[in-house]
Amino acid sequence: METPGGIGITLRELRKRLGTNDALQGLSLEFSEGKMHGLIGPEGAGKTTLLRTLLGLLRADSGEILYRDGGAPAPLAKLRSDIAYMPQQQSLYPDLSIGEHLEFFKTLYGIADDEFTRQRQELLSITRLAPFVDRPAGQLSGGMYKKLGLMCALLRSPRAMLLDEPTNGVDPISRREFWELLHELSSRKILIIVATAYMDEAERCAEVHLIEEGRRVAEGEPQALLAAAGARGFDELFLKNNAKEARP
Amino acid sequence: MKLSRALAISRKEVRHILRDPFTLLLALVLPVLTTIIFGYAIEFNMRNIPTAVHDGDRTLSSRTLLESFGSSRYYLLEPATGTPEAVQALSADRARAAIIIEPGFEARLRSGRGAKAQLIIDGSDNSAAGAILGYLAGVQSIAAARLLDPAPPPSAIALEPRFLFNPELNSRWFIVPGLTVVVIAILSILLTSLTVAREWENGSMELLLSTPVEPVEIIVGKLLPYTVMGLAGMFLIYLGARVVFSVPFAGSHLAYLLASALFLAACLGQGLLISVLLRKQQLSMQFAMLSGLLPSILLSGFIFPIEHMPLFFRILTSILPPRWFILASRQIHLQGAGIADIAQPLLMLSLIAAALVGLASRKFKRDLEP
Repeated sequence: METPGGIGITLRELRKRLGTNDALQGLSLEFSEGKMHGLIGPEGAGKTTLLRTLLGLLRADSGEILYRDGGAPAPLAKLRSDIAYMPQQQSLYPDLSIGEHLEFFKTLYGIADDEFTRQRQELLSITRLAPFVDRPAGQLSGGMYKKLGLMCALLRSPRAMLLDEPTNGVDPISRREFWELLHELSSRKILIIVATAYMDEAERCAEVHLIEEGRRVAEGEPQALLAAAGARGFDELFLKNNAKEARP
Repeated sequence: MKLSRALAISRKEVRHILRDPFTLLLALVLPVLTTIIFGYAIEFNMRNIPTAVHDGDRTLSSRTLLESFGSSRYYLLEPATGTPEAVQALSADRARAAIIIEPGFEARLRSGRGAKAQLIIDGSDNSAAGAILGYLAGVQSIAAARLLDPAPPPSAIALEPRFLFNPELNSRWFIVPGLTVVVIAILSILLTSLTVAREWENGSMELLLSTPVEPVEIIVGKLLPYTVMGLAGMFLIYLGARVVFSVPFAGSHLAYLLASALFLAACLGQGLLISVLLRKQQLSMQFAMLSGLLPSILLSGFIFPIEHMPLFFRILTSILPPRWFILASRQIHLQGAGIADIAQPLLMLSLIAAALVGLASRKFKRDLEP
């Protein structure tokens, strides 16, 4: 895979109401080019809504999303095919095998045959799923299932990736393997936004954006943020922040 | 629209179908089974109607009259000991009709005063009562020929009915082509109503929408395999009708194929629209059953003639695909119609199919907004 150019995203005062719930309440964030960003927050913080809004699957009620390509503004429609997405919920077909999934998404993305053969081999090798290529998705372990989801997303050689809680419900060893894969991808200088409720995963990102109840709590490099707050981990940072808000 | 992407959806759908024995069973075995079961069960021609008989005259003439009834195959005579017993047989549901011949029948006949016998019919079953009454005229003329000497002169105006297309009024010939409509309507609406809803429920729609695939490609891709499957089901029913029930096929096979494909497209469009709008499998299934079953049985002309319906229902049926397909199917099967003869049903089916598929495409959501 070649080193892709950079996609960056800036959010300004993003608001989104879902039913009676204010999912995003004036969220402003900066996702800079070529980095791995961690979108950290507890359940219900608005992470999934934000990722869906970034992809155009939901429309913001107000505020702006500015997409950049190589530093110049670019509309989402132009970047759409360069952005891969891995939804939080199970979204693969339980009766289709790994090989059939790859073939299906190959056609949807319009990937040429020789390119696909190369990609397929490479992805099966880095995910170590080659021996299971004929196994239906419904019979894969949690970790393998997530890896298959990642493979389907990576098939189109994306220049940006949005991953929604990719290691949710995965055993610790598979989680570590998954993060190694993400770091390998990150070294290719593509924009990666990973939403996660696991606070320990925040430290694996180049930049973290802490959100809660649809608002930004803090953003920056993980170590700098922890040092500034005098916290040992992000769970402690969240607790300190909550305690501060609770004080009159 | 890219055909390759639509075909990728089709291939995926075929894999789902082949790996789900329930769908296959539903699509291929159910139509044949239902046609055979219903074909045998639904019978409009009545034979051996249980008829209680009280012969109070006990003469040659009264016996001749009763024989005329008995030999007609329509009536199965059960002797009763008196008028009250004969009536009792009706109310106890042992008989559908009762024939009462009072004493003096033969004497009145001989004296030329006009002999009378009474026929009591169970009116609680409308269609049976109609049939019994229908057979009466025939029996009456046979009895008159046997009893009167010389035979009565032929009436000055003689109406001689002759039934075209279905000379024996065999009700299976009438039912089986209609039944195809009911079975295919329910089946195809049901199967497609689940496809899009399943993608929403499984969460795979979120992933699909994040790919370059267009709604129209998803729709075409999903319709294709079900069209093939529906046509296969129709072919099996056609075979069953011809082989098991010997339903004649007087018309053009090409016309039938065309009408079938259009009817199928309309049903699939209806199922798809339900699926796109409701997005829940359970709900879609219930709605599909309801909207497939009721119009195809009640408002299609399958059982109740459309010309006898109030104006509102006559207009309503004209936007329902089953009405047009039943019309085309019967014309092709029994009247030997070709494409030109069924131009109106074909046109209507095309319009309805285009409207339903078009509406489903329009209503197909491209995002996750509630």
